[in-house]
Amino acid sequence: MPTRRKVLAWGAAAAAAPALAGCGEKVGAARTTTATRRRPGQKVTLTFWTWVPLQKAVALWNKQNPDVRVDVQTVPANTSGGYQKMHSSLTAGDPPDLAQVEYYALPEFMLVNGLTNLSEYGADELKGAYVDWQWQQGVFAGKTYAIPQASGPMGLFYRQDLFDKWDVEVPATWDEYRAAAVKIKKRGSLITAFPPANAQWFAALPWQRGARWVTTEGDTWVVDLTSPESLEVADFWDGMISDGLVSPIQDSQSAFFKGLQTGGLATWPGAQWYDALIRGNAPRTEGRWRVAELPQWERGAHASSNWGGSATAILQGSRHPVEALEFAHWLNTDPAAIDLLIAAGYGWPAARIELAGSALGKPDPFFGGQRYNEVFQLSDRNVDTSWRFAPTTTQSYAHVQDAFGRVLAGHGTLADALKDAEGKFVDDLKAKGLEARSAR
Amino acid sequence: MSTSVKPSGTAAARGRRRGRPDRKAWAFLGPFLALYLFAMVVPVFYAIYQSMLKVERSGPMGLGEPSVGFAGFENYSLALQQETFVDGFGRVLLFGLVQVPVMLLLALVLALLLDQVSHRWAGLLRATYFLPYGIPGVIATILWGFLYVPGVSPVTDVLGDLGFQPDFLGYDNVLWSIANIVVWQFAGYNMLIIVAQLKSVPQELYEAARVDGAGPWQTALHIKIPLVRPALVLTTVFSIIGTMQLFAEPLVLKKVAPAVTTDYTPNLSAYFDAFANANLYLAAAKSVILAVVAMALSFGFLSLVTRKQRSER
Repeated sequence: MPTRRKVLAWGAAAAAAPALAGCGEKVGAARTTTATRRRPGQKVTLTFWTWVPLQKAVALWNKQNPDVRVDVQTVPANTSGGYQKMHSSLTAGDPPDLAQVEYYALPEFMLVNGLTNLSEYGADELKGAYVDWQWQQGVFAGKTYAIPQASGPMGLFYRQDLFDKWDVEVPATWDEYRAAAVKIKKRGSLITAFPPANAQWFAALPWQRGARWVTTEGDTWVVDLTSPESLEVADFWDGMISDGLVSPIQDSQSAFFKGLQTGGLATWPGAQWYDALIRGNAPRTEGRWRVAELPQWERGAHASSNWGGSATAILQGSRHPVEALEFAHWLNTDPAAIDLLIAAGYGWPAARIELAGSALGKPDPFFGGQRYNEVFQLSDRNVDTSWRFAPTTTQSYAHVQDAFGRVLAGHGTLADALKDAEGKFVDDLKAKGLEARSAR
Repeated sequence: MSTSVKPSGTAAARGRRRGRPDRKAWAFLGPFLALYLFAMVVPVFYAIYQSMLKVERSGPMGLGEPSVGFAGFENYSLALQQETFVDGFGRVLLFGLVQVPVMLLLALVLALLLDQVSHRWAGLLRATYFLPYGIPGVIATILWGFLYVPGVSPVTDVLGDLGFQPDFLGYDNVLWSIANIVVWQFAGYNMLIIVAQLKSVPQELYEAARVDGAGPWQTALHIKIPLVRPALVLTTVFSIIGTMQLFAEPLVLKKVAPAVTTDYTPNLSAYFDAFANANLYLAAAKSVILAVVAMALSFGFLSLVTRKQRSER
């Protein structure tokens, strides 16, 4: 046993240590990106952390570029482990060269100085090859920090066979959607799921209505989860939940996929990249699915929104930023690479492409021969691109999810949950040392 | 993780341990001490140090060059002001109050029963009860998750057919679904510790009891249970610490159970702050708070038990 005196000495040492604070402690990334000089012919290996199955495209690159080998390492998707790993590696000063980072998470990585300023390496010249709003997701204070890969314009996936059988019209408005839900429920099925722990999905709904959860005003972040638009959407789903018209299960989980397989869930308002998930998890429903525009709040409108989307980032600390940038640009714009990524179900390309000429423009037997991506193209064009993400999105959206979880358990309403989460959202921003306030 | 608890040594053992440890002893202790220092002591003090730091931001949108400054106890007060973090403690305490006694009672009953059965079966049964402990917590939770998720689980299907609507992952139930996993996993392990203690009971005591006319019930109640008391104390302390550190089970169930929030347990809260929110300093403060509470509870329990022991003498 240590003597009492020793313990006291340790305590004193521990108490004195913070006085030396600052020495050795660095915020965020421990290592800064620098380009190491390469002798001609010298081989370079780039490490790439991602959860998107893009091995085939990378294999093509490796075949064409034997000198710059890209080594893909699969990490858990986003907050289920991938970002945790990236943040740790940044803090430890041993990050991969390239990483998959979703648009909403880019500001968080900026806040820990986790992204390489690509403008220094000529990225600004590449801008023209990409859809502008997707490119802007990686631009902070006029500098480019990420190369966009794909987005997720929203649409309504629905089961044509069940709609025919039950005499349900494809809903054009949310009112019709509710009416369809009532009809479908009478047939012993449900129109869709309301995933309680997916704030990214939910956010797409007020986004479509015209809400802006986050805006900036000078140096202040303004949080507005409770605008009339947001509350209207919340009320709509509150009604769907309390009337038992939706299933309170989490999306992309076994029970959800079972619903898609059996027809227990007849529609799904989802992003374009959900096509691959439905195809992969309910293969026997081939030919029965179709895609329509999201139901509208005003008849005849074409309001749309986006769910998901990610960029290829070059993390702070890379030793080969030039090669990494070259690869990132190739991966996201080369037609052969895009076709391989589309086959892997990576989402809606960030590169400007001709739909007709790409794999996305073909009639698809899974969707009964529908050129379903034409719907998403329209949706993509109508996405309101003024939506912003705060640098605490992961944490703050988690508050929304936590509060929604309580609602689905029968405690309160979604509208209350949003009010509750708004205060916590502001606190998150303040806790990071940022200026923030609530909009109302 | 592990807190060593010294089972009270016998007087004879204490007597032998006279004199200072010589050089050879240090050579044997060396590897352990080096690892202990490197893997336990240093990280603990580093965490305390980090818990007193904070990031200071400046510039437009706070995206200017940040620096690290001394925060004093700011992180601690921030953590304690977070209602959800404090609620997490309440949740694990409630969990512990129910789960630990249930598990240990089960372990004790299994141990006593094992002590009764013939040798031929004892080995096999012991291995069977112990088996769940060999399955990593994450895997166990995934397996149980499949049994909990409605639409996938055969259990909910069967209960549904019988007219029940169990919601294992619901807001009010998920804590007990987690408790069930932990009991399943650790009852056998705790049973083994109790069995080991039972084995060390001298046979003469049983013979004496039998001569005095005690049946199996009375032997169990008056001889076995009092004699395995040290094992029960040990397993209780381990269980209290394990309960406070509840982490893997809720983290894995979180995927299918929205009722499991990011602050569901104190450990989960610290984890999300450190790795998802990139706020290591706040996470360090939360970890220190958690360690202090776990220590207070363990030592509190120990002193409670030993005081009782002392007063009995």
